[in-house]
Amino acid sequence: MAGAASAAAAAGVTDMADKDVKIGAALAAATCSLLGTAAPGVSVAADAEPQWDIESAFLYYGESDDRVKDLSLSAHATRDFGDERTLGLDLSVDSLTGASPSGAIATDGVQTFTSPSGRKTYSTPAGEIPLDESFLDTRFALNGSWSQPLARLYRVSAGLGFSSEYDYQHIGANFGLTRDFNQRNTTLSAALAYGQDTVKPVGGLPLPLTQMGDAVDDAMSPANRGDSNDTKDVLDVLLGVTQVLGRHTVLRVNLSYSDSSGYLTDPYKLLSVVDPVTGDLIGRTPATGASGPTGVYLYESRPDSRRKEGLYAEMRHDFSGKVLQVGYRYSTDDWEVDSHTLESRLRLPFGSSSYLEPHVRYYQQTAASFYRYSLANVTPLPDFASADARLSEMDALTFGLKYGHVTAGGNEWNARLEFYRQTAKAPNDVLIGNQIGNTQMPDFDAVILQFGYHFKL
Amino acid sequence: MGGPCEVLAEVADETEARKITDAVAACAWRVENKFSRYRADNIVARINAAAGSSVEVDSETADLLDFAALVHRLSDGLFDITSGVLRKAWTFDGGRRLPAQSEIDALLPFVGWSKVHWLRPMITLPPGMQIDFGGIGKEYAVDQAIQLVAQMSSAALLVNFGGDLAVTRSRDGNRAWRVGIEGIDAAVQRAAMLVDLTAGALSTSGDTYRYVESEGRRLSHILDPRTGWPVSGAPRSVTVAAPTCTNAGMLTTLAMLRGPKAEAFLESEGVRHWVQRST
Repeated sequence: MAGAASAAAAAGVTDMADKDVKIGAALAAATCSLLGTAAPGVSVAADAEPQWDIESAFLYYGESDDRVKDLSLSAHATRDFGDERTLGLDLSVDSLTGASPSGAIATDGVQTFTSPSGRKTYSTPAGEIPLDESFLDTRFALNGSWSQPLARLYRVSAGLGFSSEYDYQHIGANFGLTRDFNQRNTTLSAALAYGQDTVKPVGGLPLPLTQMGDAVDDAMSPANRGDSNDTKDVLDVLLGVTQVLGRHTVLRVNLSYSDSSGYLTDPYKLLSVVDPVTGDLIGRTPATGASGPTGVYLYESRPDSRRKEGLYAEMRHDFSGKVLQVGYRYSTDDWEVDSHTLESRLRLPFGSSSYLEPHVRYYQQTAASFYRYSLANVTPLPDFASADARLSEMDALTFGLKYGHVTAGGNEWNARLEFYRQTAKAPNDVLIGNQIGNTQMPDFDAVILQFGYHFKL
Repeated sequence: MGGPCEVLAEVADETEARKITDAVAACAWRVENKFSRYRADNIVARINAAAGSSVEVDSETADLLDFAALVHRLSDGLFDITSGVLRKAWTFDGGRRLPAQSEIDALLPFVGWSKVHWLRPMITLPPGMQIDFGGIGKEYAVDQAIQLVAQMSSAALLVNFGGDLAVTRSRDGNRAWRVGIEGIDAAVQRAAMLVDLTAGALSTSGDTYRYVESEGRRLSHILDPRTGWPVSGAPRSVTVAAPTCTNAGMLTTLAMLRGPKAEAFLESEGVRHWVQRST
């Protein structure tokens, strides 16, 4: 044996290593014998290279009374390049249909309006809340972000976003920095986001607090329209602290500041002009041979700046596998919209790979200082006025349940069903004459159904 | 074990976690104490100090010797537990000193498993020869530890001894253990590749810290027992996934020993592998 080995060594070593004889089976058998185990089956599931981790979802959102419906497809993809360097991409496509309340009040008679394009008219039956003309829109949004450690305890992220629909465009950029302290039990974070939106409504931008005119043909421009588009700039600043409070509890507190400036008005929202004593809609007769509004409706007007400050606190606690999350948000702004949000989720694992997650959320806000249910026919007109229910005093309640299941391959699918009820209020001080006791606020219910699939590529 | 040892355990109970880590630590120390070539009081030291006389070994040592003998045969002599003697000529500390051929020639007569007389349970080394389980020990310890803790607990566990690791099962919720394989450029401390492991083991062999430089060439610490020289054209790092860590470790070592043909070898063996080379 010894002689043979020496001779082989003298003959050259590479030849010996080149023998293409498979040794895997013999080696595996020898290992099992060494370790005293039975030969394991295929027990390795390993994948090289960074992978895409993708959360995809299909969402249906439907409001009661055939209002807005949204069908949405979205994907959130992250790719881990190791060492905590991650690329994130968000892609979503929304198909919106339906109509939303225009801000005009319900009356005893049929009401006729000129459409946003200024070319056609549409009518609302007696006793019903006027909705703006039905729309069909497709929204496309794309966001990309990069996140990586900067030094041992720092982490930076930067992102760009873009979204587009036929009358609205958004571009935005954001930057974030976090630092860990206290053996990584405390994390401070700061984030800055800047966005610019361009509004390009059908038929041009209505002049604020001017009257809706008769429908006109293509040769003429609609009445009381200004520029074709305008922009809005939004700056958001966020400061946060995340604190680990023991082995099972994490607390997060954020302070936020948001400054919007530019065109903040909704070009499709209206105000009904009413008799200052009776509160009834002031009638109007279209010009001879023309069709147009049968009442006096003004386009709304909002201030050109809005500053919001917010406080958010969230606590997560792990009760041996059951995770409770409770969050509270307070927000206030110089439009005098103050809001409180209370939200809670409880994740309840069951079986070896499933969970149920009930969710409840309560939201409440005060009305904006310039919110009007309607506008009294007196002079002078206020500088700002809006009858948009989203600026009224209101509250909203959401109940939901999510079910998730992790497959043998480590992917997760889930389904979520939620009910949402929004209730707006018009206190007597915004009501006039006959409106008191006779108010119809544009309340609605909505159903949210979502199917999600979380997988790796 | 020549590197950090860690246990990752998905257990909620601190007492159970402590029981598991204590058992793994005890297992690591037991294997280290019994088979380390740096100790003067273990079976390896007794075999190496026997100076030509026979030594009777216990059954665990005998199993390891049987295994080493088999791998020696399967690898046509590339894997050899007697090659440690060559370290008298080679120091792989990143330095530049190369031994003279005469130094290596003087050592080669003391290298070669074929010169060892092994008839279970008796082993006889010719005077001047030594054995060393450095090429098996760490992976063997991982497998011993993972078997031990799998019997103690049904929890999802990962045992990692300096980059050689094994898991008991997938993590809770059928999630995989995500393992980063260190890049070959030690200056950039980043995981070059990520492996999702739900069962089995991974072993990595590399020259991140152990090499010698000659005329700008980096020579790997993997020595060819038949020439006494480092294997030329060896990858900088080889990682193999296999049902057991010992199995994976043998495949990485044998791949390294094949030098430029490491990838071809691993391909032909049909195992999951990740090879990093200098560009």
